[in-house]
Amino acid sequence: MGIMRMGYAHVRVTDLAEAKQHYANTLGLYETLSTDGKVYYKGWDEWDHHSVVLEEGGVGVVKYGFKVEYESDIDLVEKRAQEFGLTVERMSAGENPEVSDGIRFTAPSEHVFEVYHSQTLIGTEVGTHNPEAFPRHLVGVGVPALDHSLILAEDVRTMENMFKHVFDFFPTERVQTDLNDDDAHYIASWLTSNNQIHQIAVLEGPQGKLHHFAFKLQDWTEIGRAADLFAMDDVPIDIGPTRHGITRGQTIYFFDPSGNRNEVFAGGYPAYRDRPINKWTPDQIAKGIFYHARELNERFTTVST
Amino acid sequence: MANVAVEPTGETVYLTPDETVLGGLYKAGFAYTVGCRRGGCGICKVDLVSGEVSHERTVADTVLTDAERATGTCLSCRAVPVGDITIALRGEELRLINPLLHSINERARQRAEALLHATSLHSTSTHKE
Repeated sequence: MGIMRMGYAHVRVTDLAEAKQHYANTLGLYETLSTDGKVYYKGWDEWDHHSVVLEEGGVGVVKYGFKVEYESDIDLVEKRAQEFGLTVERMSAGENPEVSDGIRFTAPSEHVFEVYHSQTLIGTEVGTHNPEAFPRHLVGVGVPALDHSLILAEDVRTMENMFKHVFDFFPTERVQTDLNDDDAHYIASWLTSNNQIHQIAVLEGPQGKLHHFAFKLQDWTEIGRAADLFAMDDVPIDIGPTRHGITRGQTIYFFDPSGNRNEVFAGGYPAYRDRPINKWTPDQIAKGIFYHARELNERFTTVST
Repeated sequence: MANVAVEPTGETVYLTPDETVLGGLYKAGFAYTVGCRRGGCGICKVDLVSGEVSHERTVADTVLTDAERATGTCLSCRAVPVGDITIALRGEELRLINPLLHSINERARQRAEALLHATSLHSTSTHKE
């Protein structure tokens, strides 16, 4: 029960035609709906109607949708959000096309979160009946699914507390100024509700900003192939292919045509509620973020949308 | 084609038609603080000291406000010079990181200048006849 995953990321793009070229032809997402100045996408291994929404006008993130297992979980999350002091509003089915009713609240970081219990089921591109290993005619990178997002917030500890209390998330890794949590100032926190190493991460920075949202890949080979495709399509690469010390994931950060940062993310060790949190001290943050270079590029902390 | 001069040194770089200020400077072997290179983060803003630029692709109002546009802020990854321009970086100096690319650009600039000079000489002499 409870939150299963980040179901969708809804972001703004300055030019929808250019963005479609990137998300459909370079990343290989499947368009499932285009209406009202918005385009909806899913990855080939996702079964719900959409996981990415692009809206023309501006840059940055509009909102995130998190999916709960049972309809009754909505009430539970609503109650916990109110306990945490958040103002929660109900959303009705269809406010987001093909998405159920649910709740919506604005976090202390000024990001908007929606919680819903179902989307119209489309099915994966390989189906469920004696499925093949992957679709034969994938386009570009052919990302299978949305993975996670990193957001910026002035108060990381409060955001961690919110995700713990409202979403029943647990932190898997943290950057903190002191190994003793009580004495520490939290600089960043990685959180999840299940074995996925992180569904959301929060880094200290300006309110309401998007650092990146990420798509899942399998391994180094797929990451390397993605980098080759980015070269072919003139996609600006921020960093990578490299590894994150934090999560141990393999990664490339790159930018969409509007300057929103994307990531392809592979690996990461399995998370468990009873696994002790990995703690990184600020002097080792560079190695935590970019394990090979052990140096933060100037863009990591300054560039967001 | 256009020349971009960068204050305070007056270092001048030659840009081919439709090339952005950022694209041209990097292609000529120079570096300064840039971010997404796609108009989204606003890190590469510079001041337009003289001349005119055109932001030919859509830039979000939150990244470059109307007030900034009016007072000569140039989002260098999206700005294409309309004729020769002079810019000033904000709080940093232009760094030459690749002398080979710089010399290639310098030769291109001299060639373009010589060609322009020859064309104007030719048209002047034609006019006399």
